[in-house]
Amino acid sequence: LGHGSGGVLTNKLLDSGVFDLLSNEILDERHDGAFIELNGKTAFSTDSFLVSPIFFPGGNIGELAINGTINDLAMCGATPKYLSLSFIIEEGLPVKEFWDILVAIKFACEKAGVQVVTGDTKVVEKGKGDKIFINTSGVGPIHPRANISAKNIAIGDKIIISGNIASHGMAIMSVREGLEFDSEIESDTTNLNHSIIKLIEEFGESIHLLTDPTRGGVATVLKEIAQSSEIGIDLSQRDFPIDEQVASACELLGLDPLYVANEGLFIAFVSASKADALLAVLQQDENGKNARIIGRVVEEHPKQVIMESNIGGKRVISMLPGEQLPRIC
Amino acid sequence: MTKTFQITISGQVQGVGFRPFVYGLANEFQLKGSICNNQDGVLIHINSSKAKATAFLAAILIKAPKISIIQSHFISETTFKNHDDFKIIPSGTNHQINTPLTPDFAICESCKSEIRDVNNRRFGYAFTTCTNCGPRYAVTTKFPFERSNTTVSAFAMCNNCKTEYANPYDRRFHSQTNSCEGCGIKLKLSAADGKLITTDSSEIIKKVSELILLGNIIALKNTNGYMLCCDANNKEAIERLRKKKQRPTKPFALLYPSIEKIKTEFEINKFEEQALTSSVGPIVVLNPKESLQDLEKESIAPGLNQLGIMLPSSALLSLLIDEVKIPLIATSGNMHGSPIISMETDSIEKLSKVADYFLHHDLVISFPQDDSVVRFAGEQQIILRRSRGLAPNYLKASFSSNERMIAMGAHLKSTLGFAPNTNTYISPYFGNLDTYDVLTRYQESIAKYIALFQTQPDVVLIDSHPQYQSSILGLELAAKWNAKLISIQHHKAHFTSVLGEHGLFESKEKILGIIWDGTGLGDDNAIWGGEFFTYENKKIERLTHFEYVDWMAADKMAKEPRLSLISILPKSERELIKPKFSETEWKIYNKMLENNNLKTSSVGRLFDAVASLLDIIDKATYEGEAAMLLENMAKNYKGNDFIDFLVDVDFEYVPVKTLISSIQKAKSEGISTSRIANSFIYTLALIILKIAKQNAYKTIACSGGVFQNSILVEKLSQLSQKQGIKSKFNRILSSNDENISFGQLCYYHHIKN
Ligand SMILES: [Fe+3]
Ligand SMILES: [Mg+2]
Ligand SMILES: [Zn+2]
Ligand SMILES: [Zn+2]
Repeated sequence: LGHGSGGVLTNKLLDSGVFDLLSNEILDERHDGAFIELNGKTAFSTDSFLVSPIFFPGGNIGELAINGTINDLAMCGATPKYLSLSFIIEEGLPVKEFWDILVAIKFACEKAGVQVVTGDTKVVEKGKGDKIFINTSGVGPIHPRANISAKNIAIGDKIIISGNIASHGMAIMSVREGLEFDSEIESDTTNLNHSIIKLIEEFGESIHLLTDPTRGGVATVLKEIAQSSEIGIDLSQRDFPIDEQVASACELLGLDPLYVANEGLFIAFVSASKADALLAVLQQDENGKNARIIGRVVEEHPKQVIMESNIGGKRVISMLPGEQLPRIC
Repeated sequence: MTKTFQITISGQVQGVGFRPFVYGLANEFQLKGSICNNQDGVLIHINSSKAKATAFLAAILIKAPKISIIQSHFISETTFKNHDDFKIIPSGTNHQINTPLTPDFAICESCKSEIRDVNNRRFGYAFTTCTNCGPRYAVTTKFPFERSNTTVSAFAMCNNCKTEYANPYDRRFHSQTNSCEGCGIKLKLSAADGKLITTDSSEIIKKVSELILLGNIIALKNTNGYMLCCDANNKEAIERLRKKKQRPTKPFALLYPSIEKIKTEFEINKFEEQALTSSVGPIVVLNPKESLQDLEKESIAPGLNQLGIMLPSSALLSLLIDEVKIPLIATSGNMHGSPIISMETDSIEKLSKVADYFLHHDLVISFPQDDSVVRFAGEQQIILRRSRGLAPNYLKASFSSNERMIAMGAHLKSTLGFAPNTNTYISPYFGNLDTYDVLTRYQESIAKYIALFQTQPDVVLIDSHPQYQSSILGLELAAKWNAKLISIQHHKAHFTSVLGEHGLFESKEKILGIIWDGTGLGDDNAIWGGEFFTYENKKIERLTHFEYVDWMAADKMAKEPRLSLISILPKSERELIKPKFSETEWKIYNKMLENNNLKTSSVGRLFDAVASLLDIIDKATYEGEAAMLLENMAKNYKGNDFIDFLVDVDFEYVPVKTLISSIQKAKSEGISTSRIANSFIYTLALIILKIAKQNAYKTIACSGGVFQNSILVEKLSQLSQKQGIKSKFNRILSSNDENISFGQLCYYHHIKN
């Protein structure tokens, strides 16, 4: 993408096919806003995506932006329907790269069954951005059987994770830092809405809370829940599903996989009596093959997350904002 | 003319037989009056002439019980009151508490001979104590130290014990922990599966001794917590203990039957002997004599020439070691990394996979503590772990101010500092606060201290590392208590700890602070650990530091000395150490070093790098292992031909890369590893002196874990003395992160940066 005033370039860009590519009835109206029809309780979510590098093993920033908002809606027990899509592009982004991102967006939308109904593009001077930033917002109706709220968490609830942890963060890091592991680690980015809705259909209010452990990883998300809901959480390290390659990469770099970001993963707090049944169903799903029960909600130690390690000791899990700084003498 | 005089004495004067002592002295002086414990210590009233009262006070000060410590005394005339005799008045309730917490005392010689004497009524009684010995802090529930304020109060004294307690001429006059077989604490021996074996005290010690000699591991409840023991000559038992405790290589301490046996088997100077036989009764790290053959040294302390030795600290251990007559492994009853266990239920739950048999008793321990560990550099005592017998009093400092302070300490060797009144309390170390059981005990101790002193802190002091559990908790507590929260840089706290120990805050001349350790978060967000500070006029400035190198792989760098080596060794020489890594590791770590942002000046990591370079260790299994093995290697060098690896090098920042290249060169020239290791430590001492001389310092103050190295302390003391420079080290506290809480209190109170 070259020089020129933002307006001209933007229009030219859009004309050259964004609309065509993402075409649907509502978008095709090309009105200032989208006309959509929604009935009943609706979830609404927004997120901005600023990943570097924008292309990484297993995906790119485009599908990440679509899946991210879709998954946030799914975590509310909603079926994502309509999205907005905004780009902030730094001058100099190769057109080819932009198209690759757009194509990824199109496929991600189709796979998830959502439509982009409105959007915006801005181009900023070189140095004012980092290649491309994407913002997406989305809406969708909440499933009638869904009753997702941290208030529903009860002592004894089982905590289920849908798949292998730490893949996304390690994939990003390996490219960013130029680290060549024995084999390539791929991001787990994917849409989770179909899998979630299937579980809600069957287990409804037995699912007390859904959350996706993205930034800060599983540890940060669970610690946040424990603190805000004043519950205790016990985890078992032995039960965490993790790809061998990812585990050894984390070990090599001195990173704790519990704090590494995920994209295509969710955590469910499920009433104890339904946990095994839900796990069995989830394991049949393509996004849940590696699903496992990783812990439970306990009465002891409110606000604390405690993990029993592989060798038997119990470790306190805390929030580590930012970089993991060494603490050992 | 007879008047009434009031004498107050403060310090460690409760629970040490002080009132009975004064009672006896008053009778000798034929004085009438009274004595009681109060909120400041003891309060004495006597009817006497002024001259006699003064002479009486002088006699108190001269003859005071050996285990007491008098901090201050005060005499004044008061309203006349008639007294018929001299009385010991039991303590009332106190409004404000201002006394030290008396530490535990190791069994005294008189009690030892009683339990060995068939004709004594305490023959074989495992909880024999007197006013000169026995647990104190471990059994404390409230102030002041009275039987009713300890867990011993669960046992009612029999008539014999009562008679002793009431008899002013008995060693057990007002002995709060007094008990005997007839009224006291009961032992119970059971198997790991819970099956009761015996409670018969006449055979229980004999039985335990037999089991030990058969190769069993025993979990034994001492008065400070559970201890795991086995035969120190039985390799198989020791290896089994290692495996089950998940402690592959960290050295174990040994319990010895007598000082005589220790003297025949170890090189021991008079300071070491004094420490071993003191009322503290710590583990003392000693060098075995060449002739010592029968111990399984390599299983007890793999790769080390030194062993940690102690004498029995209680009647129970004394009886046991008298019976077995051979050295025993004696290690804290816990799983590796967890705090020492003190409750029977807990011991069964956590240790039944480790121990074959359990020796329980029914005395409740309210403050469990590990054994303290010390070593000596010449006559200089280096505290490696400050716990039983030493904690929690810190009698040398007073922060009398309107603010009540709590210092949260560091993370890995966390301690609590508490200044709720004019006394200072530094808790025994807790351990790694990431461990749930450790954090729980740390939190419980905060609650217990607050209950004990009936006061909530106004000021909470934390380390400036935001990810320490102690910092996280301090933040929460400050909010909860509506207290002031102050964060203090780690190495500055180390520095103020040693300044505080030596009372140097009023110094007129500038002082050089040498603070070397493994890690701490610096003011510039680098990982500090090789710092030179200057102290002057209540201000601390960073003078210089070790040259920054890359910190890589978070906490893993501290666990793998080879990572320090790859980071510090100049790139042009890196190829030499390739065999220490797999292909993938080599590729990844080289790449990481290209893009790294986090920097460090850590001397701990430099020790690691040198240990790895000398092929001593590449991956550690316990904290400080590389430094210990390197020191051990250095001790093997008996010569005097030290190399200065930075000879003729001028520097602003200590050039670690130049230093390690120079060591690498010496290695390639075939100079012996032990001579290189020793010379490396020698070079570090020279660096300190060079900086001190260049900047005209006359006093240096050293702190941080690196100064647990006895060779460094010894060399530095000698070299600085020769040059007329005074060198100061931590003496009462450990030089490692155990002193951070005390340093935080000092920093907040004294530093005006
Ligand atoms: Fe430190
Ligand atoms: Mg999101
Ligand atoms: Zn005694
Ligand atoms: Zn008795």
